[in-house]
Amino acid sequence: MSQFAQQVVLGLLLGGVYVAVALGFSLVWGILNIVNLAHGALVIVGSYITWDLFARLHIDPFLSLPVDALALFVIGYTLQRGVINRVIRAPLLFTFLLTFGINLVIVSLLLLIFTADFRSVTPSYSGSGLHLGSVIIPYIRLGGLVVALLLAGVLWAILNRTRIGAAILAVGADRDAAQLVGVDLRHIYALTFAIGAAFAGVAGGIISTFQSITPTAGDPYTLQAFAVVILGGLGRVSATIAGGLAFGLIEVLGQSAPGLGSGYANAIAFVVLVAVLVVRPRGLLGRLA
Amino acid sequence: MIVPLAYVVLAPLTSIDAAQQAGLPLLTDRLWFRIATTVAMFVVMASGWNIIGGLTGYASFGNIAFFGLGAYTVGVLVANRGWPFPLALLVAPALAALFALIVGLPLLRLRGHYFAVATLGVGVAVGEVINNTSQLGASTGLTLPIVRSDLLFFYLMLAAAGVAVLTTWIILRTRFGYGLLAIRENEEAAAVIGVNTTFYKVAAFCIAAALTGLAGGIFAQWSSFVNQENVFAISDNVQMILMAVVGGAGTVLGPVAGAIALELLIQTLAGGGSGAVYSQIGLGVLLAACVIFIPRGVIDFFGGRSRLSLRYFRRTLRETSV
Repeated sequence: MSQFAQQVVLGLLLGGVYVAVALGFSLVWGILNIVNLAHGALVIVGSYITWDLFARLHIDPFLSLPVDALALFVIGYTLQRGVINRVIRAPLLFTFLLTFGINLVIVSLLLLIFTADFRSVTPSYSGSGLHLGSVIIPYIRLGGLVVALLLAGVLWAILNRTRIGAAILAVGADRDAAQLVGVDLRHIYALTFAIGAAFAGVAGGIISTFQSITPTAGDPYTLQAFAVVILGGLGRVSATIAGGLAFGLIEVLGQSAPGLGSGYANAIAFVVLVAVLVVRPRGLLGRLA
Repeated sequence: MIVPLAYVVLAPLTSIDAAQQAGLPLLTDRLWFRIATTVAMFVVMASGWNIIGGLTGYASFGNIAFFGLGAYTVGVLVANRGWPFPLALLVAPALAALFALIVGLPLLRLRGHYFAVATLGVGVAVGEVINNTSQLGASTGLTLPIVRSDLLFFYLMLAAAGVAVLTTWIILRTRFGYGLLAIRENEEAAAVIGVNTTFYKVAAFCIAAALTGLAGGIFAQWSSFVNQENVFAISDNVQMILMAVVGGAGTVLGPVAGAIALELLIQTLAGGGSGAVYSQIGLGVLLAACVIFIPRGVIDFFGGRSRLSLRYFRRTLRETSV
């Protein structure tokens, strides 16, 4: 029983990471209608920044998260304004392929700069955790979950309480109508992608605290962000939270089921994914078409 | 471009020995045989993808599952059951098509991104399940008896490529092909004018799967080794799509042009002594440039439809950007 409770806790903590990864992905998908295959690469850029600051300047990983956000915001804005805006009206296959190309370039650049060695961020508290009865909650994972929920709150506030957010939602709802009432499409597109990238960077910072980083470590996160968005549904912050936590639970509990193991992580995720898609194509809480 | 094309044309007329005697150094090079065979393999895969992704408009990102299933079918039948290779090769496309029928019925109800993601999931999941099944060799894979004949596999792949191109050509000239194009342009309208959309989509998916499975089956015996990494490679999965799109999706010869151009480019970048990392960067940049500037594929420049010029780039750019 206590083992089950531990699994549930670990699942929710892992789910927090998925929430952080999927927030930006979901925003870009929902507003720009781009499935960003470079999302995982952007996440890992954030991880490397956190690692670099930790290794060189001994800055605590949680303190470097704002730096990740800022750096990725700039990268994201430049990418969208300079490159992705050029194919935004093309069929979805083209944005798919373009972001795949961007992913390839980013991963290769990371490989050139940081080599393929495993990098890890190990603050002094990384081994310790909170003991609740027989259940252990590692501090860094708990910190990750808190940051993820904070991010979700920030995104909700940006979208629903600011003028920029209103413009972003307007562009997502109807591009041409938004342009008619004076929204600068190029700027809002770039801004939306930049916010998505900034969130990816923070997620990367969190990931670097509990996982070794390589240039290709981001690829699974792109797929998992997909799964989260589809589980929860597109177009709502609360749906991403629900989807992320549910996905984390499914992954941890699924792997501990008899006869299955960590080798089936992707297969479990995608059986769930396909089942959800077929039964409820809009996701559990989704509203956008 | 000219040299490898000449090579592909000349190769059937000659053998390695004959080429050596005639003093054609290129034809004696085993590396070129491998490359030509690989090009033909990607022609099959890109053409297969083209039938579901290009003609029908359903961007499948899981066609690698069919390649892997075809390869594993031949692998299991030849290595474990002792079947002769030609017999096993007949089963490979059939099994891939059967699998496409089973997953296609639920998945082809999805559209756009959702279909792309779901098929991507199928590709990853099938590979992972096989990788965990001990009867299929698990992660060590299957080893087939080695058949040493560069020419045999070159001809086999070339024949498969011919079948793939011919299939596309025939489809585009039948009622079935017009139905697929109608589904791509507007599925509801197609249904209204009497196209049985479910049947058409699933049939196109099965044909694509059969072709891809055939390529996988030949590949299994050619490389005489099958495991998850070499037959469910995500890079191959994306490459076949790239080739179809860079060449010109929805056309008969587009995937052929794309496969030749991209595979040679990849080989050049990889063999140029600049290292794999730079070749990856080059491929990524090229991919972005192609998607932005020549979205209709390089095939658009053949047959007098368009000319390669700055004006062409400006026009395509204006069509798709904000």
